[in-house]
Amino acid sequence: MPFARHLLIIALVLCAAKIVEADNKQLDVNFGWTNLDTGRNDNFKSGKALAVHFDYFFKPWLAADIGLYVSDKTLEESQQDIVGAFRTSIQSQAILLGVKPRYRFKSPYEVYGRLGLQYWRTELELEEDFGTGVPAGQDSAKDTGYGYYLSIGGAHYVTENVMVQLELRHMVQLDVFEGESQFPFDLTINSFGFGVGYRF
Amino acid sequence: MVLFRAASVPRVLTITSATIAAAVLLGGCEIQGSDNLPRVPDQGLVMYAEANWHEAEDTAEVVAAVFDDGVAVNLVGGDVFEARTATERVLLTKRGFFAGSYAESLSVDNSIQDVFFNVVHEPIAARENRWYPVDLIGTDPGPGELVGKSASVSFPLAVTITAPATDTVYHSINDVIGLSWISGNGDDMRVLAAVNCTDGLATSSYGVVIDKEVIAGMDVDDGDEGIPMNRIIYDLNQGSGTIEFVRDATLMLLQELLNQLSAGNIDPDFLLKQREANPIESTCNIRMFLQRQLDGQFDTTFDAGTVIGSTSAEITVQYLPPVPL
Repeated sequence: MPFARHLLIIALVLCAAKIVEADNKQLDVNFGWTNLDTGRNDNFKSGKALAVHFDYFFKPWLAADIGLYVSDKTLEESQQDIVGAFRTSIQSQAILLGVKPRYRFKSPYEVYGRLGLQYWRTELELEEDFGTGVPAGQDSAKDTGYGYYLSIGGAHYVTENVMVQLELRHMVQLDVFEGESQFPFDLTINSFGFGVGYRF
Repeated sequence: MVLFRAASVPRVLTITSATIAAAVLLGGCEIQGSDNLPRVPDQGLVMYAEANWHEAEDTAEVVAAVFDDGVAVNLVGGDVFEARTATERVLLTKRGFFAGSYAESLSVDNSIQDVFFNVVHEPIAARENRWYPVDLIGTDPGPGELVGKSASVSFPLAVTITAPATDTVYHSINDVIGLSWISGNGDDMRVLAAVNCTDGLATSSYGVVIDKEVIAGMDVDDGDEGIPMNRIIYDLNQGSGTIEFVRDATLMLLQELLNQLSAGNIDPDFLLKQREANPIESTCNIRMFLQRQLDGQFDTTFDAGTVIGSTSAEITVQYLPPVPL
């Protein structure tokens, strides 16, 4: 089901690109490596994520930015304490809404940024193992909420309409599990990605 | 369920396998942090617990372990030792120096007489050091077999050392430290010493224990004992046959005590550090802890146990090797 939902949202973004009849539209697809941080003693491995953005330029240097962010299941290194061994994983999706300023040089390069709000949905999963003779276990919880994102990138125009991009992204999901737990946290996702953009 | 590395770790680990890594080898002198537990019987369920209250401190160091047929038992799944006084309570969530041992600091004051040890099942509190919301997600295998078992100790009279003076200097391993204290109610006495030596280029640090097995009559609480320096300082070239290094539970307790007194700024392996400087030829700082010990009581469901309440005081003396003429 989540996959179908993602496809639906991507389709909506693409449809939006079709519907808006103007020259100042752009579709970006970025693939990136992520680093997760909860500000606590977590130990997440590097993860992967995909971001799709549709931009509508209402000025040559400024666009409205709508996007979808989908991460894979990012695993933590296994840890051991007096209770047993445990490992968590996080999977996250977000709808992004903001602005995208850019500056295009005379050469076929441009720099751009993104800044906006996100509505996220995050699933936290836990695996525990207590050793021989005690049954292992698994549990998970989901939450939704708001946060923000910002990024900075550079693009090289391969043709007048097609560009390749490099992008650094910083996303913060605020108050994850606030109201459900006494130990809520802010989830920071930093990523480095590359992708392609298409202007039409 | 994806099984990850620790899945193969058995619930019960042998002391031997858990402590081989702690063994420290040094030139001509092999010192093991721990390779067995004296006074732990090969058979039966055995309780070990100690609460030590050092002079003028507002916390006592508490350590505990349970052994089943001579093997330390890991408490898992939310089972945890609790140390409790009339007004304070802590869970022993820090690991001790061997598998299956646990330690923590417990607030105490002069109104405190007794410390009660219990094995409790606290699935959320035991996980409180984890990063994720432990009150929201978790798996609870339920209480283990040891939950409900208990022991209790009382603190003996506080220790007051009257001699030697702080920083008294000794120049020979044939010297005798004239240790004096205000005698108490006839409880057992022993000395733990944390030794740090340097020859200007290298250092050595280690811990020794001086009890009735090292010096006959050391345990008598009569207020006076001579401690030969050769029970503390040794010649690396001659071996360390004259001294007994701290190990096992005593090692754990002394390291915790040093950690407490240094506000966490001491090397966690201070007592196991590689010995490079030859103590007899080095300048050594000797922190001597005189301990008064009082046997406590353990649950009748245990077959045996070593359950101790203790108080301690510290004196620091120096060893300076004789200057060659």
